Amino acid sequence: MDPIRFVAAVLLGATALSSPAKDITLLNVSYDPTRELYQDVNAAFAKKWEAKTGDKVVVQQSHGGSGKQARSVIDGLEADVVTLALAYDIDAIAEKGKLLPADWQKRLPNNSAPYTSTIVFLVRKGNPKGIRDWDDLAKSGVAVITPNPRTSGGARWNYLAAWGYALKTLGNDEAKARDFLTRIFKNVPVLDTGARGATTTFVQRGIGDVLIAWENEALLSLKESGKGEFEIVVPSITILAEPPVTWVDKVTNRRGTKAVAQGYLEFLYTPEGQEIAARHYYRPRSEAALQKFAANFPKVTTFTIDEMFGGWQKAQKAHFGDGGSFDQVQAAKH
Amino acid sequence: MKTIRQSGRDSRLVAVLLASALLVLEAAVPMTRGQDTSAADTIKELQKRIEELERKVEAMQRSNAPPAAVPADSRVESLDQKVRVLERKNEIEEEAAATKAKETPKITIGENGFAMASANGNFALQFKGVLQIDSRTFFGDDGVAGNDGFLLRRARPILQGTVFKDFDFQFTPDFGGTGSPQIYDAFLNYRYRPELQLEIGKFKTPVGLEQLLADRDLLFNERSLVTDLVPNRDLGVQLHGGLFGGTVQYAAGIFNGVGDARNSNNADFEDHKAFAGRLFFQPFKKGNPALQNLGFGAGGSYEELSAGSASGLPSTTGGTLPGYATVGQQQFFAYNPAAVQGRTPIVIADGQHWRVSPQALYAYGPWSLLGEYVISDQRVTRTVVAPFISRELQHTAWDVSAGWVLTGEDFNFVGGVNPRHPFNPASGGWGALQLVARYSELNIDDQAFSGFSDPTRSASRAQEFSIGLNWWLNRNVRVGTSFSHTIFDGGGTGTGAPGVVTDNPENVLFTRVQLAF
Repeated sequence: MDPIRFVAAVLLGATALSSPAKDITLLNVSYDPTRELYQDVNAAFAKKWEAKTGDKVVVQQSHGGSGKQARSVIDGLEADVVTLALAYDIDAIAEKGKLLPADWQKRLPNNSAPYTSTIVFLVRKGNPKGIRDWDDLAKSGVAVITPNPRTSGGARWNYLAAWGYALKTLGNDEAKARDFLTRIFKNVPVLDTGARGATTTFVQRGIGDVLIAWENEALLSLKESGKGEFEIVVPSITILAEPPVTWVDKVTNRRGTKAVAQGYLEFLYTPEGQEIAARHYYRPRSEAALQKFAANFPKVTTFTIDEMFGGWQKAQKAHFGDGGSFDQVQAAKH
Repeated sequence: MKTIRQSGRDSRLVAVLLASALLVLEAAVPMTRGQDTSAADTIKELQKRIEELERKVEAMQRSNAPPAAVPADSRVESLDQKVRVLERKNEIEEEAAATKAKETPKITIGENGFAMASANGNFALQFKGVLQIDSRTFFGDDGVAGNDGFLLRRARPILQGTVFKDFDFQFTPDFGGTGSPQIYDAFLNYRYRPELQLEIGKFKTPVGLEQLLADRDLLFNERSLVTDLVPNRDLGVQLHGGLFGGTVQYAAGIFNGVGDARNSNNADFEDHKAFAGRLFFQPFKKGNPALQNLGFGAGGSYEELSAGSASGLPSTTGGTLPGYATVGQQQFFAYNPAAVQGRTPIVIADGQHWRVSPQALYAYGPWSLLGEYVISDQRVTRTVVAPFISRELQHTAWDVSAGWVLTGEDFNFVGGVNPRHPFNPASGGWGALQLVARYSELNIDDQAFSGFSDPTRSASRAQEFSIGLNWWLNRNVRVGTSFSHTIFDGGGTGTGAPGVVTDNPENVLFTRVQLAF
């Protein structure tokens, strides 16, 4: 046989040998308190995807304050998907990092927020300081734990929930609202970078009288403490938080992971995904899951970011940008 | 020392005793009426004064009493909270410092050279190098002059780096050897993804397996006869990458085109470009450990050279005319046709030149095996003296090399041996020893001796038998000693290369001290 033909035949045979099922890795860059949620989501999705396609998927997780995570992705952290605390942080990735289109939120149902949450108070057993509502957080002698709005998405929801309450009860007066927030932040002894850090401060380190927390964090703390060490207080009015999810186009296109990344996020909307979210105390979008897990979720009266502040862009600029209300609050408290 | 309370009690006691004494006196001593009235008044006055004293003592005691105590629990709790807050702030600061440390540029100095990189790895610079000092001694060569001695074989500082995460570069000059310093590698590589990369500049042509292995990791000090027939470095652009998790490596590029074993100059102008490509398979790379380092594939090249292409023929290593050299770097074949009508013809590359090279390697534990076969088929023309004659000459070569690390460490074709006990006599470390053996041969097309080469001087075949011992002192320093015995068919006359070289078998003892990092 001609040596060149022989060599070609061997090479063709070897190519056939070398095409096994794929091992795929995704990186999910998420906000601070979603560790337990995505541990279960990832295991369930990997099983489902392998059954459907034969490919093995491993989803690696990165957690931290939502703002900090967004900045990391902009600076080059190769996230296939981002599941952050607020839409503004993903907008920043789109605008500053040019890593996904500006209209990303339309790509998945419910403005790309497969679950919601809200902001409540976690207090110590017996509620020794008698915390009932936002006003009590501004009283002297009450130590309040909340993370830093500069780095934490949860902290921004907390801040805006308090501000919204102030506007509603103080005649829509911005100056009075700022004064109210100043009094609250005077009571904050420690500013963690993220929501999970704040929970650690309150629950494990035993600091503070009240933790302003994501509802899912508060419920998780109740479950994990097991001894009735804490109680949840639902304020008279609070904010509806809609943490969004999306895939990062530039990264998935380059890594060839778009199909699996999209499939991963769409899994969150499936009945199985919605039940996993509900089990982890995130309010599912699905009515069926919400009914099934209704006992997990107390009744709350909420307002949305759009209703109270005209959306995240305006809220970010007015409150968390340089010279915004948070900067003024921090300056005034000293 | 008495407390205030004790002092107060004492004062009261004194007053009471005084009062009691006076009352006792009053009872014990009867008074006259006149005297009675005066004494009674006095007693009344005294009682009044005692009562006043008692009131004053009580007032004094009240004013000196300590303030009302704050509940101890509340103070302790307040202090406890303050301590916890301080501890937590410290914890957060430590976390922030740890995060910042991750963002700090890294500098490392170690067995892989000197490197610095930004925290996110998007920018990196690495300084490496290869220094090879040889000793060559030829035996039984009938006193061929000028081939024994010490040689600075390679002195290559290597600068590698990455900019903006996806752009790699390398710059490698060489100050060793017998010629003037030259640039060996100067290229930029864009990594769009591991499967798709674009490389441009001067770099190794993707054909020969042994040629593509790094100098520092070769089993022997010099490559085999097979490498005589493959191109060395060339200027060009290639697509390359690893598919299916790296189990398939591919490279395909367009180059200026260079002759066998030849290194391109910095500017080789050739209207007709050469295509070179290679496919290499490691199908068990992620599977059975015993087969992970089994690889096989093939490389090849094709070009159409215009007449008179200066770089189209083999290199002149060991001689003054293009030809092929032994492992001792002595030319045994040259395009040196005999004079015709008193004039010396010149052979030029003229037309098609293709190569194909099936190749394989295997390493498992201390064992290693490498095999390669090359065909170099080239059209050449004899010029100057009419009639000009053209022939397609097909030279072939093959080799098998084997290695065994006697001290048991693993060998890898990328990275060599990492001694379990690096050389350090004080602690009983003597490095690692590797025994190596090789056979290779190069066959010249018989038609080459029909006017293109002098058969009385150039050999038609060279066969090399080599055995050696490599002493890996550590990852960076290796001493290699080998003995190579090469026998020739044909040739053997004349006073210069290749005649004098092919007159006797070549026996060369090589010792090389290598520093590579």
